[in-house]
Order: sequence, then C-alpha cells, then structure tokens
Amino acid sequence: MLNALGRRRRMVLGCGSVVVFVGAWEIAFSTVVRWDPFFITKPSLIAAAFREQILGGKLWKDMAVSGEAFLAGFALAVVVGIPVGAVMGWRRRAEYALDPLLTALYASPLIALAPLLIITMGVGIVAKAVLVFLLAVFPFIFNTFAGVRCTDPLLINVVRAFGGRERDLYLKVILPGVVPYIVAGARLAIGRGLIGILVGEFYAASEGLGFAISRFGDTYRLPEMFTGILVLAVVAVGLTGAVRKLEAMVAPWRAGQQER
Amino acid sequence: MARARAGARDWERYGLGVGCLVLPLAVWEIVPRLVTLPRGAKLFFAMPSQIVVALYRLVESGEFQGHFAVSAAEFLLGLGLSIVVGLPLGLLLGRFKTLDDLLDPYVTSFNATPRIVWLPLLILWFGIGIWSKVVIVFIGAVFPLLINTYEGVRNADRVLVNVVRSFGGREWQVMKVVVLPNALPYIVAGLRLAIGRAILGVVVGEFFGASRGLGYMIASAASGYRADVMFAGVLVFMALSLGLTLSVKALETRLTRWRPQATKTF
Repeated sequence: MLNALGRRRRMVLGCGSVVVFVGAWEIAFSTVVRWDPFFITKPSLIAAAFREQILGGKLWKDMAVSGEAFLAGFALAVVVGIPVGAVMGWRRRAEYALDPLLTALYASPLIALAPLLIITMGVGIVAKAVLVFLLAVFPFIFNTFAGVRCTDPLLINVVRAFGGRERDLYLKVILPGVVPYIVAGARLAIGRGLIGILVGEFYAASEGLGFAISRFGDTYRLPEMFTGILVLAVVAVGLTGAVRKLEAMVAPWRAGQQER
Repeated sequence: MARARAGARDWERYGLGVGCLVLPLAVWEIVPRLVTLPRGAKLFFAMPSQIVVALYRLVESGEFQGHFAVSAAEFLLGLGLSIVVGLPLGLLLGRFKTLDDLLDPYVTSFNATPRIVWLPLLILWFGIGIWSKVVIVFIGAVFPLLINTYEGVRNADRVLVNVVRSFGGREWQVMKVVVLPNALPYIVAGLRLAIGRAILGVVVGEFFGASRGLGYMIASAASGYRADVMFAGVLVFMALSLGLTLSVKALETRLTRWRPQATKTF
C-alpha cells in the first residue's frame, strides 16, 4: 500500500519521465537526427495534428461512430453475460451444461471470426457490435459465476434462519457480493471490447476511430495517425481508471489485490 | 450410497457438458440437410463435415503446413522475445522502487490500450513480412508477463526477505531463495495470458498485413467466399489456443498446489 508521500513521489517521477521522454524525442528529431516524415514523426507535429483534428470535428465524428458500436455491443454483453453467469453459479446443472462450451469459447481467439461477421453483416454498426459482444460477454459470464459461487454460505443460512425469502437472499446477500466481481469483469471486458472495435474497423469500415488510424497509416500521415492512437489510449486509460475507481468504491476490501 | 450419488453426479456433469458441446455441432450439421438454405446464405456457410474435409485437403496439399509454419514462427519469436524482455524487466521493476515510479505511466497506459492499435504503424515500419507480426505479438504478450512478474516479486513475504538478509544473504540470494519461488506461479499465470494475447496478435496481424500465415488464409478465404477453408482456419486457431491455455493452466495448478490458499487469477 502506498502512503501519501510514496504516491506523491510516484506522481512526480512518473510525470517527469514522460516530460523528459517527449522533450528528448522532440529535440532529437528537431536537431540531431535526420528523419523521414513517412516513417516517424515528432511531438510538435502530433500536437498540431491533434489541434486540427479536434477543431475540424472529424475526430469527434469518428469517436461517436466507434463509441456507438462499442456501447451497443457492451450493453448486450452486460444484459446477456450477467444473467447467464448468475444462473451458472446458482444452478449446478446449468454450470455442468455450459461450463465446457463457454470455457472453450473463452479460451479461443474469437476475433478470428471477424472476417465472417463483417462479410455477412456488412461494414456498419451491427458487425462491430456483435464482435464487441462476442469478446466482452465472457468476462461478465465468468466473473458473475465466480461471484455467485463465492457467496458465503453462512450468510445464506443466516437469511434462511431468520425466515428470509428467496427474494431477500438475492437482494441482500448475493447481489452485494457479486457486484465487485462484475465490476472487475467490466474492466477486462472494456479491453476486449476495444480490440473488437479496432479489428472491426481495421478490417472494413468507412468511418470510426480504427478506420481513421488505419487510413492515416496507409496514406503515411503519421501525425494524424498518432493523434488517433493517442485518443484511443486516453479513452482506454480513462475507462479502465474509472472502473478501477468504481471497484475501489463498491469493494474497498478488494482494492489493490488484483492483477492490473 | 454416497459413492453411488457421486457417481451419478459425475455422470450428470460429463453428460451435460459433452451434450452441450455436441448438440450445437449436430444441429449445425443436420439442419442444412433438412432445410434448403437460401442461395445467399450458402456463400457463408459450411457444415462441420465440410470443414473437416477442407482441413484434410489443406493438409494433404501442403498449403496448411506452409501457412502454419509462418504463423508458428511469428508466435514463437514474439512470445520468446516477450519472455526474454518481460521477466527481467518485471523483476527489476518489482525490486527497484525508483525505476518502477519512472516507468509506471508507460506500463499502465500501454497495458490499458489495446496493442492492436499499433498495427498500422508496425506494418509501415516493418513491412508485411513476419517481423511486423513478431513485434505485434511481442508488445501484446510482454505486458501480462511483465506485470505478473512484478506482482509476484512485490508480494514476496517481507519477513522471509528479512530472514535471508539477517543471515547475511545478498540481494541475489534474496532473489533466489525468496523472491523467485514466490513469483513463479504469478509468472506462469502471466504466461497463460500472454499466450492468448500472442495468438490474438498473430491472427489480427495476419488479417491486415501479410501474404502468408493462417490468419491470412482465413481472411483471404473469407473474401473469396470459401467458408469451409475459413472455418478450418478458425478451428485450428481454437484448437491451438485451447491446447496451449489448458496445458499452462495444468502447470499452474501443479505449481500452486503447495500453497495454503490458491492464488486468485482471473
């Protein structure tokens, strides 16, 4: 656990190293190194491209297109994944039936289905949303499953002993116990969902953030491409950070004891 | 009585599990034989039996082996490189606080961002030969290894570290006796994640910038409406991924067996 001083030190050193890195990159490419603009770029050009893209509005449109598909797929993953996981955790037969199939699917690279999905469903939002769903649903299923399974039997017995009904069991014991697991699952699902969006848009799309990145790459417009990468990184770090905060809020006892 | 009940339960377990694996395949195989599919759907469709036949033909003609060798080379080189870099770096970050503070922003932001986003740039830099894929596999697989090693090193028991130090142990002895044995299960768990990321890198990298490899085979079969070949490629990836993940998982269970409580990894 970091104390306040340690956290401050980490902050300062971390920011310092980023500033030094960007500064060194800029200075090296402005003075020392002869460079090829088709091959690499420098921070000041990226900043200029970033400004232009933000003001031009194209970037916002791309983000909206990608965001829509992401949200649709992600919402579907939540709506399907949590009930399936809950049933698997609560009913042993459901676990027996679904566990091998779902484990096999979870472990296999479903992204390999991307060409099929896009060719059958077109380059619009549907194929991308389905891809996001396929990748993001498994963390929800398995984490909800684990959460329900890890419910303290003692607590269940307490509710039963005091004459609680099935409903009380769900609302007072299982749900509060499961929420932290679901939030942890959401964090994994975000990363996988973003992969789905990117691959879908790299493969075939006419707009969207992934499409913008790959098109700028194909046309050797590196500053614009780095802008896209930067935006995606900010979104990804922001979403993950927000979920981590949420995790610390709903389950303070679990904070900091998981892999990143 | 109890044993009979347990036997029935086992039977129920395997019966249901296998049934749910086989049933979709059976439906997939049988329904197209009973119902005539519209012409359009046929373009994207292949029954399991056709997929197996397609796979057999690919192997027979040697086409499969060619693609497989390329993909395997990318996978092994990328994963090997990520082990060579990830483990020592994770060890250093875990042991030296200042280095950890300096590099943390990069590790965190790279790890949160899907590494696939670098693919267009890597293709620009390394071309469509195997090296762009090796690098994408590397940057995908290195972070789980690095981070898990780091966590394993950080979680080393302080008391044990102090014991080794009190008896005059040096830093490398602390590493050998306490830190590494403690980190090993974490590293293996990281390896399991890394394998998944590496396969993802191979598949996606070959979709977009390649002229050989299994991912390329899938993408070109899809755009040529050869659904049987495409599914055959997907099947191979699934089998490989599953086989590798499960064997590392088995290793993981073995390595954590002596622990009082299993390390949670999900």
